[in-house]
Amino acid sequence: MKKASFLRTASVLLFSVALLFGCSSGGGSGSGTPAASNGGATTGAPQKDQLVIAVNENFITMDPQNTGDALSSGVQSAMFEGLLIYDKDLKLMPGLSTEYSVNKDATEYTFKLRQNVKFHDGTPFNAEAVKINFDRMSNKDNNLRAYRNYKYIKSTEVVDEHTVKVTLNQPFSAMINKFTTGIISPAALEKYGKDITKNPVGTGPYKFVEWVQGDHLTVELNPDHWNKGAAKVGKIVYKPVPENGSRVAMLKTGEADVIYPLPEQQVETLNGEEGVKVERTPSTITRYVSINMLKKPFDDPRVRQAINHAVDKDAFIKVVKSGYGAQLESVMSPTIAHYAKQGTYEYNIEKAKQLLKEAGYENGFTTDIWGNTNSDTMKGMQFIQQQLQKVGITVEVKSMEEATLSDEIYGIKSPEEAKMNMWYVSWSSADPDNAMRSLFSSENFPPAGANTAFYKNDLVDQSIKEATQSSDQDKQKQLYGVVQENVFKDAPWIFLAVDEILYGKRANVNGVYITPSGGIYVREAAFQ
Amino acid sequence: MFRYIVKRLIEIIPIIFVVSLLIFFFIHLVPGDPVRLAAGKEATLEEIERVRQELGLDKPLLTQYINYMQNLLTGNLGHSLKTGLPISDMFENRFSVTMTLTFMSLGWALVLGLLIGTISAVFRNKWPDYVGMLTAISGISLPGFWLGLILIQVFSVTLGWFPTGGVDSWKSYVLPSLTLGAGIMSMLARFTRSSLLETLKEDFIRTGRAKGLKESVVVRKHALKNSMIPVVTIAGLQFGFLLGGSVVVETVFSIPGMGRLLIDSIAFRDYPVVQAVILLFSLEFILVNLLVDILYKALNPKIRYDS
Repeated sequence: MKKASFLRTASVLLFSVALLFGCSSGGGSGSGTPAASNGGATTGAPQKDQLVIAVNENFITMDPQNTGDALSSGVQSAMFEGLLIYDKDLKLMPGLSTEYSVNKDATEYTFKLRQNVKFHDGTPFNAEAVKINFDRMSNKDNNLRAYRNYKYIKSTEVVDEHTVKVTLNQPFSAMINKFTTGIISPAALEKYGKDITKNPVGTGPYKFVEWVQGDHLTVELNPDHWNKGAAKVGKIVYKPVPENGSRVAMLKTGEADVIYPLPEQQVETLNGEEGVKVERTPSTITRYVSINMLKKPFDDPRVRQAINHAVDKDAFIKVVKSGYGAQLESVMSPTIAHYAKQGTYEYNIEKAKQLLKEAGYENGFTTDIWGNTNSDTMKGMQFIQQQLQKVGITVEVKSMEEATLSDEIYGIKSPEEAKMNMWYVSWSSADPDNAMRSLFSSENFPPAGANTAFYKNDLVDQSIKEATQSSDQDKQKQLYGVVQENVFKDAPWIFLAVDEILYGKRANVNGVYITPSGGIYVREAAFQ
Repeated sequence: MFRYIVKRLIEIIPIIFVVSLLIFFFIHLVPGDPVRLAAGKEATLEEIERVRQELGLDKPLLTQYINYMQNLLTGNLGHSLKTGLPISDMFENRFSVTMTLTFMSLGWALVLGLLIGTISAVFRNKWPDYVGMLTAISGISLPGFWLGLILIQVFSVTLGWFPTGGVDSWKSYVLPSLTLGAGIMSMLARFTRSSLLETLKEDFIRTGRAKGLKESVVVRKHALKNSMIPVVTIAGLQFGFLLGGSVVVETVFSIPGMGRLLIDSIAFRDYPVVQAVILLFSLEFILVNLLVDILYKALNPKIRYDS
C-alpha cells in the first residue's frame, strides 16, 4: 500500500512535468509557426518585410577597408558602395562614380562622382569624402587590409566637388578592381575612430541597425538611397549558423529566407521541397593541389604532367563535390576577366605511366599530401591518394588543423626550407591580377606570398608585369593568355575543379543572389 | 563556516595566477601564427611585420605576459586579435546566453533525474525501474549532435513548435536545453538510484520502517537527503562544465555562447580571447566547487569546515 501511494505521488509528478512540457509546446503552436511570426510580428503588417539570410560563419568586421573574409564583405555590400561596384555576375558597374577614365600607362584614374548622394548619417558624399577615404587606406600607419591595394596610390586630388583624380606611384592596371572598396562617411570615421568596425556608416541601399556579437546583424532600407526603389525589403537580418543541417532546417521552416552555403550533400533533401529553391552558379573558387616544384621528383615537368593525367577529374567532381562543379581548364575560374580556356589533362593512366618512366620513376615514388581537417578536404586528399596509387605513387595523407597548416606553409624562413610536397587547397579571386600574380609570380614565393608551388617562369613573370602596367584591355587579354597557357603546360598544380556556389532560398524571395566570389547581393531584394 | 569561505575565496588568487601563467605559455607553444591568419594569404612580409608590431606580438613573451597581467589587474581583458573588438564586448551577450542555457538544462535535468532515480530505486527490479533506467541509458548514449538534429527535425521542421536555433525568445532555449540536459539527467538518475539503494540498506532506515513510518516518508525525509552527497557532487561538476558552454549544442542550434567563442578563438590563435575565456571558466569552476562544498554541509551537518 505504501509503495503504491508513493508510486501515485511519483506518477502525478511525472505527469505534471509532461503536461508542463506539453502545454508550453501547445502554446508554441497556438501562436503560429516561427515562419509566420517572423515577418508579421515585427511590422504588424500582413506583408512580409524582413529577410533572414543564414550564413556559415561569424562576421569579423564591418570596416570595409580592413576586411579579409568574403563573408564580412558580403554583409558590408548592403551598407557600403565603392566608386565602382560589382554586379551579381561580378561585372564592374558604376557605383558612387558615374564615369571614369584611365591614362594609357594605368597610372592616372579620374572619376566623375555621382551627385546628390548622402551617407547614412546625413553628411554629403563628395570628392573630399573620397580623398579622406583613399588617404586613410593608402596611409601605412593605419595598418588596414586595403593598404595592400591602396599603397599604389601616390596622391588623391580633389579636382572639384564631384571629380577626383587618383595618381599611382607605379602602373597598376588591376587598380580599377580595387576601387570597389566601400567608402565610409568621414564624419563617422572622425566620430568612431577604431570603433568604426562596429558602427558602419556608408551610402548603400541598406543602413546599419545593430550587430549582436555572434548572433545576428540587422540592416534596414535606406530611404534616401540614390537608386531607391531597387531594393524593396524593409529589413535584412544576417545570421551566422555554423551547422549545415541547422541551416537547411531553417530554410525548410522559413526561419531563414536565404541560406549560404548550401552543402552539396544536402541538395538532395531540398530538391522537391515545397516553397524552397536551390540555386547554382559557377564560382571564382578554384580547387587544386599545389605541387612543390623545388623538390624532387616534382622538379621534373613530366612527373607533374603524369600526376595530372593520373587523376580522373570527372570522378573527382562526382565523388568529392557530389557532382556540383566543373573541371578546372585553366589556372582560374571562367567567371574572371581575361579567362582563356586551356582544356584538360585527359585521364590516361598509360600516358601517366609512360611519362613517369621517361622521368626515371617507372616504379613510382612515395610522397605526402597536406590539407586541413575539413571533412571535404580529407575526402579530396583520399581521392588523390587512391588515384595516384594506380600509377605507383604512394601518397600519405596528412591533415593538419588550419592554423598549424598555415604556419607550416607560410611560416618558413626561405623557400628551400619548405617541407610541403603537395597541398590540397583552393583559391578565390575576383580579378586576373589576384588570380595570377599572387600564385605564379616568382616574387611571391612563401614566406613573401602565396606562390606555394614555387613556380618560376621568366616569360610568365614578364607577362604578369606587363599586364599590370597597361590599361589596354586587349593587351591585357593577350598577356594573361600567355600566362595561363604556360602555367597550364608547366603543371605546377593538379588541376581539379571550379566549385559551384550552391545556395537555397524560399520561393518567394526575388533579387537576392550569391555572387561567384561568395558575395551577398541584395541590391534588388524583394518578396513576391 | 564564514572563515572557511573567506579562506577559500582568498585561495582563488594564487590559483588564478597559476592558471593564467599556464594558459599564456601553453597557447604560445601551440604552432600557428595569429598574425599570418589576420593578415591573410597574400600578405607580404612587410605587412606581416607591421601587423605583428601593432598587436604587440613582436615583443619577448615575458614582456607580453607582464603587459597582459598589468592590464588584467586593472580589469582590462584586452582586445581580440581577430576582430579588434574589446573582449568584454564579446563576452557581454555570450555569457548571459550560456548562463541561461546552463540553468535551464540543469534545472530540468535535476528534477527529472532525481525523480527517475528515486522511482527506480524504490521499485528496484520492477517495471518502473526498467523504464527509468532505459530512459537513463538512452539519454546518456545518444550523442548530443544527433539528438539535437533529430529534435530540430521533429519539433521545428515537422511540427513547427520551436525555432531551429538562435536565442530570440525562451522558446529558442527549449530544444538546446533538452539536448544538453539529456546526458546530465541520465547520469543524475543513475547516481540517485545507486546512492539511494545504498542508503535504503542502512540501519536507520530499518529503524524508521520498524517504528511504522510511511514508506514515502522514509524515502523522502530520511533516505533521499542522505543519498544526496554523490548527486550534488555530480551536479556541481556538470554545472561547471555547462558554464563552459557546449560547443556541440551551440553549433547545432546556432547559439552565440562561450563554447563556440573559445573554439573559434583557438582556431584563429586569438591569444587574448582564449586566455580570457579560460580564465573565466577556471574562476567559474572554483566558485561552483566552493558552492558544492557548502552544500555538503547543509546536507550532512556532520561535515565541519571550521577546523
